[in-house]
Amino acid sequence: MAKYYYDIDDILTEEEFAPVLFHKPANGVTIDPSAETNSVEQGAKVELPFWLAHELHLRQAVSINLPACFDQKTRLEIQADAACVDLRSRCPYFYEFGCKLQPLVTDRTLGILLSTAFKIRYKERLTKVFTATHLTASKFLPFLTIEETNLYEAAHLSMTAFKKWRTGGPRFQRASILGRKRKES
Amino acid sequence: MYGRKGYQLPKDFASGEKGHLKPFNSKLFDETIEECDQNHHLIQFLIRHLSLSICIYFTNKVFCLIEGVDVTRKMEQEGLDVHNNRNADHYGALVHHLSLIHNKRCLMAYVHNRADIVRDLAWRVGLELLDLPPEIQDKLTTLEKRVLQEPFCSYQIVHGKSRNRVECRYGASKRTTNFTRHSMHFLKRTDAELYIA
Repeated sequence: MAKYYYDIDDILTEEEFAPVLFHKPANGVTIDPSAETNSVEQGAKVELPFWLAHELHLRQAVSINLPACFDQKTRLEIQADAACVDLRSRCPYFYEFGCKLQPLVTDRTLGILLSTAFKIRYKERLTKVFTATHLTASKFLPFLTIEETNLYEAAHLSMTAFKKWRTGGPRFQRASILGRKRKES
Repeated sequence: MYGRKGYQLPKDFASGEKGHLKPFNSKLFDETIEECDQNHHLIQFLIRHLSLSICIYFTNKVFCLIEGVDVTRKMEQEGLDVHNNRNADHYGALVHHLSLIHNKRCLMAYVHNRADIVRDLAWRVGLELLDLPPEIQDKLTTLEKRVLQEPFCSYQIVHGKSRNRVECRYGASKRTTNFTRHSMHFLKRTDAELYIA
């Protein structure tokens, strides 16, 4: 928990908006743009950042619905061809946000959607982007989510380090102890 | 309101190149602190309002007990929905409290991640602030510059007969001496004492 407290990606993931339904009224807040007074009525539907929605959900003040990035349209596109879907434009932290939402919403298929999308995209897109030329890779990088981009960069760094190791210096070095000649008795 | 200023701090940090510092956004930092103050004032207002509602409720309850009247019916007659108002004030204060905590997290994460980069810079370049190019020095705050100017080291001294074994836990770079992290050195006690922080 402590290591995620300062994590910038975790903070930005929790800034994604989620639609909620208020079960309790709240005074002195201007969250609901349709409200005439600075309060939220019971039954109001508003969009809140996930960090706020999550805490209010834990206190049974709201219930969370699925955001638009996980709607039916996105699901159909992922089913058709997950590798070509521009997930970054839907939600830059598609997987992380989905994982955080999954235990809080009633939709039990969200986990399967995330898992399927990641497996297909990893197999069809990420493995090929690692070995592709920079020109080819640059076509697909804007479609990748932040998590996928981090994986790509890690693989790219590993590949660069491997090539550097291969070309730089002898692979095997004779142990210095083997250099000692024994005196013939 | 509701963490919108605080959110811009990590966003500003993430918009820079990885491992590279951007100039400290003191304007946004101050605006976030100002938003925290606003949250705090509203929490106090709502708590006072909540306390007043509780006082009204219990005062009416005492009078009703004396007069033998049902307190709920009396509240409805007078149009005082104290129970719901009490809940509404509570949840309103809760929203402001959560916003305050979130802004605190954003402020601390911003400073913490910048400090990580400054520490990495110190390890790579050494602790000589004046050796850094001016364009990098301009991005550092006064506090961050002080980190680079002062040595940060911790030593464990294991006493020996004539020499002591010194384990350098963090490392330091002075003008004449360079230590790497977790390196072991044998020094005279008088020499080792100079480096104890």
